[in-house]
Amino acid sequence: MKKMGFKGSIFIIPILILIAIFSLWPVLQSFTYTFFDYQLNDRSKAGLYLNDRFNVDLFNESSTYIDLFLERDMDNITEEEDVAKAEDLMARLDELDQEFEGESGVITIDDSVKEDIQAFHEDASTLVSNFNEKYDMQTGQNLPDIVADVDNSLIESNFVGLANYKKAFKDAFIGTATINTLIFTGVSVFLELILGLGMAMIMDKGMRGQGFIRTASLIPWAIPTAVAALMWSYLYDGTAGVVAEIFANIGLIGAPTDLLQTGAGAMTAAILADVWKTTPYMAILLLAGLQTIPKSLYEAGSIDGASKVQQFINITLPLLKPAVLVALLFRTLDAFRVFDLIYVLTGGGPGGSTETLSIYSYKVMFAQTNFGYGSVIVMIMFVIVAIIATIYVKVLGADVMEKN
Amino acid sequence: MKKWLSLLFLVSLMAIVVAGCSGDGGGEGGEDTGSDSEETSGDEGSSGEKTVINFAAQNDNTPATQAAIDAFNEQSDEYKVEWTEMTNDSAQMHDQLLTTLSSGSNEYDVISMDVVWAGEFAGAGYIEPLDVMMSEDDINMDDYNAGSMTSGNYQGKQYTLPFFPDVGLLYFRKDIVSEEDTQKLVSGDYTYEDLLAMSEKYASESDAENGIVYQSKQYEGLTVNATEFTNQFDETEKGLQMMQKFTASDAVPEDVLNYTEGETHTAFENGNAVFARNWPYMYGRIMDPEESGATIKADQVSVAPLPNGGAVGGWLLGITSNSENKEGAWEFVKFLSGPEGQKIMSTEGGYLPGYTALLEDEEVLESNDLLNFEGFQAALDSTIARPVSPEYSKASNEIQVAVHKYLSSGDGLDEAVQKVNAAIETEEAE
Amino acid sequence: MAKQKHPNSSKSNWLFLVVLAFYLVVVVFPFLWIFITSFKSTGEIFGNNPFNIIPENPTLSHYSSVIFDKGIFTAIWNSLVVSGVTTIYIVFVATLAAYAISRFDFFGKNLLLGIVLAVSMFPQMIVIGPIYNLFVDLGWTNSYWITLPYSSITLPMAVWILVTHFNQIPMALEESAKMDGANRFQTLFRIVFPLAAPGVFTTAIIVFITAWNEFVLAITINSDASYHTVPVAISFLRTQFEILWGQVAAATTLVTIPTLLIVLFFQKQIVSGLTSGGVKE
Repeated sequence: MKKMGFKGSIFIIPILILIAIFSLWPVLQSFTYTFFDYQLNDRSKAGLYLNDRFNVDLFNESSTYIDLFLERDMDNITEEEDVAKAEDLMARLDELDQEFEGESGVITIDDSVKEDIQAFHEDASTLVSNFNEKYDMQTGQNLPDIVADVDNSLIESNFVGLANYKKAFKDAFIGTATINTLIFTGVSVFLELILGLGMAMIMDKGMRGQGFIRTASLIPWAIPTAVAALMWSYLYDGTAGVVAEIFANIGLIGAPTDLLQTGAGAMTAAILADVWKTTPYMAILLLAGLQTIPKSLYEAGSIDGASKVQQFINITLPLLKPAVLVALLFRTLDAFRVFDLIYVLTGGGPGGSTETLSIYSYKVMFAQTNFGYGSVIVMIMFVIVAIIATIYVKVLGADVMEKN
Repeated sequence: MKKWLSLLFLVSLMAIVVAGCSGDGGGEGGEDTGSDSEETSGDEGSSGEKTVINFAAQNDNTPATQAAIDAFNEQSDEYKVEWTEMTNDSAQMHDQLLTTLSSGSNEYDVISMDVVWAGEFAGAGYIEPLDVMMSEDDINMDDYNAGSMTSGNYQGKQYTLPFFPDVGLLYFRKDIVSEEDTQKLVSGDYTYEDLLAMSEKYASESDAENGIVYQSKQYEGLTVNATEFTNQFDETEKGLQMMQKFTASDAVPEDVLNYTEGETHTAFENGNAVFARNWPYMYGRIMDPEESGATIKADQVSVAPLPNGGAVGGWLLGITSNSENKEGAWEFVKFLSGPEGQKIMSTEGGYLPGYTALLEDEEVLESNDLLNFEGFQAALDSTIARPVSPEYSKASNEIQVAVHKYLSSGDGLDEAVQKVNAAIETEEAE
Repeated sequence: MAKQKHPNSSKSNWLFLVVLAFYLVVVVFPFLWIFITSFKSTGEIFGNNPFNIIPENPTLSHYSSVIFDKGIFTAIWNSLVVSGVTTIYIVFVATLAAYAISRFDFFGKNLLLGIVLAVSMFPQMIVIGPIYNLFVDLGWTNSYWITLPYSSITLPMAVWILVTHFNQIPMALEESAKMDGANRFQTLFRIVFPLAAPGVFTTAIIVFITAWNEFVLAITINSDASYHTVPVAISFLRTQFEILWGQVAAATTLVTIPTLLIVLFFQKQIVSGLTSGGVKE
């Protein structure tokens, strides 16, 4: 084996650049999220803040609103003393406003300014609640909320260290989701391997109409996952789904409606759809492996009187090992991350019985916009699947990377 | 070897073609969006370049949205609105908007939002409060659909104006339901108990397979239906018990726990149900049997308010905080949600007008048959809202899981009530 | 291989044919049903007789609306461009890397292989945000640059498949090429690449289909309708409350045809590639 040298490094520079920009960098970003209480729907947590900060935009907005609403209600405030108090409050607000003139976004501020703002917030909320008790204020319902936003513009550090990970260990949803994911991955990849091997042997056979058979075999895989998932949700439908109807007629399920409504039914349905869709992928990987086995080995085997089964066990399987490893590895990684199919078919239902780690992390990240905790779930997924991959490589891979 | 060389040649040829196309495609894309709004280059000389306002809104199967945009572009000298059509898959659209807005991009100036997103986007600071602009232009909140306005009000600030409102309705077969019951339904003076009794009675009397259909799958629609059954979660226990009674009844399809709006309209349109809870769009389908395949006729159908009132749905308009053309964006939002824009939405697309005065406009009434039903007008007066909160989708998800679990097993009422109440409370505490 | 059959195996031949027929039915039936559905009227798809094999009132309306109103051909063209470009550059980059891994000795080789594998262990959803931000900064949204981030879903697989195939090619051939004065690139593309043909074409077909199937990046980054790919275009075939099943079925049928042609082309190469390689061996 040659030393790579400088010239040789040209071979790996393109891949390094692509992987670094489009894969590693996003992953590292997600990894940093896991140490923060990073939630998009809360302005005081919608960034990664190691230190205390101040949201000028929110403060300016609140200050405009306090002016706007108080002025609207000035006529309702009748006692002179209170009018003076309100005007005083607005004057103080103006002073604070000037402090941040020209600033925008999220900035760092001195402790003294911070104290001023806190003091202002306290006084303002007492005053507003006094007004609300005394007078019939037009903006009475909204004003306290607006005043509260003054305090909300003071951002505390949302660095939480390992707290998100701790929370994950106590989260029962993660446990069930992990089990669901393992069941889905285990069963579907096992079935796909067996069926894919069979399919590859059929495709490898030289016979009439083999072009047709090969092409037909690959149809399921050529249909985009998002579309195939939609398609299956129609085929499994309780009233108009032909597959559900057939299953009910041959007695596999009690009624067509049971398929997606029971936990076991929904999981089976998802696995079947996945097996249908990705067995061809497995098959084509294995087919390429079969093609590299020299035919002379089989001829020699026949001469020695080995039966077809013996040939399969002694010649095909050992030589197919590299292809099987790659196929198993990538199918497992894919199945473990299953998303589209289950999301469209069941949305994780019924009652959470098909909720996989991907679905759960999606819900936490995108539906609940909690990217900090969602990223933790993603890291947990990574650790589990990395362990599985290591086992594969150790068991199957020892000599795969060696030269023949 | 020859074969390989020719293949390599083919590949490089493809690469060149593709590279050429990608250049072309960019140009074409730009031109396409330009020509969409029927702005010809001839204009530009005289009026100068108009500032482009980018509007992200879901794809519209009616001509209404495009017509409203064209009307705006026609009357505005300064601005030109370009529409980025988003998918009608609302979860997908939500994620897309979230990715765009959280990146701080100024790609969109005005966005259309499902009523339940407003709290989240407002809480995140992605959309701009409108009160100042509204008071400067003397826009009165009371002129708009009340439910939509509540949905867009977060922490005391008004963030949105209505794009088009929606409201849950009870559809019924007036050729089957008796005169007496019809009056009762239309007045809204009945309970879910009564509704179930009627469903069971008419289901056995008529040849319709089911008495009533509604949405009970584990998805957002379940939260909507539960909101209605429990009267905004004021009577959680009673409401859930009633839902369970419905689920178990012979007058309700066996797989109602898998029903969304789609299953609901199919059952009702094909004459398989006497009653249905659905949104106004279903009436449009019944009016257009060629497109929808409905077998019942429009004159067999009438509508009524739901017992506790119908939940408010629909879409809202907001201005993004990162927009660089907030004034133009405001002009457009004002136009689209105001009398002119809403009239176009209603007459061209059959949408319910969000500008209340239009409910009495003759052209609107003429083009929108549903508005002429007494029961529909009554339904508009008794709407109920889902809570406004940045944590809405989390709470809704918890409600869905708890309610679906209870309905599918039939026991664990206390646990479900407790979970639902907990979800509602954390939301209110926010 | 068929010629090797023993004359007395007609019984097992029959069995084989029955198994094959059953297999084909299972594989093809779901797609066939979608094909049938694409000719049914909307009322029939979810109506009272949804299980008719022959549509009651066959209609081409779904086809005409996806072709003329929804511009499915634009989407097919976009998908062909995006998947084609991705296939070409990914196979090229992966070939270089796999050759280096297979033939050179360099520091961190196993680490590289491990990292490449590790990046495909993360769900795609976490990649979208950062890439979207990057594309906005570069002004690359709504363009064919989207093929670059497709590397994150295709490159790992491509590298691993090619490494295993390169490893099975004897070094002796390259040594002799080197004697003849060929440099490393020439050795790679003249000797190793053709010999690894089954692996190369398998990689190409997998990369192509993976890119063809990609949905989330496409819809997020290229939101402009003129850049929609096939899965994105099909996701638009719905209204707020329902999926337009007839149109989805028609579109699915239409978009499957070009992929099948491409699959047919590639799979032929997988087999014929071997025979040409085998001769040299």
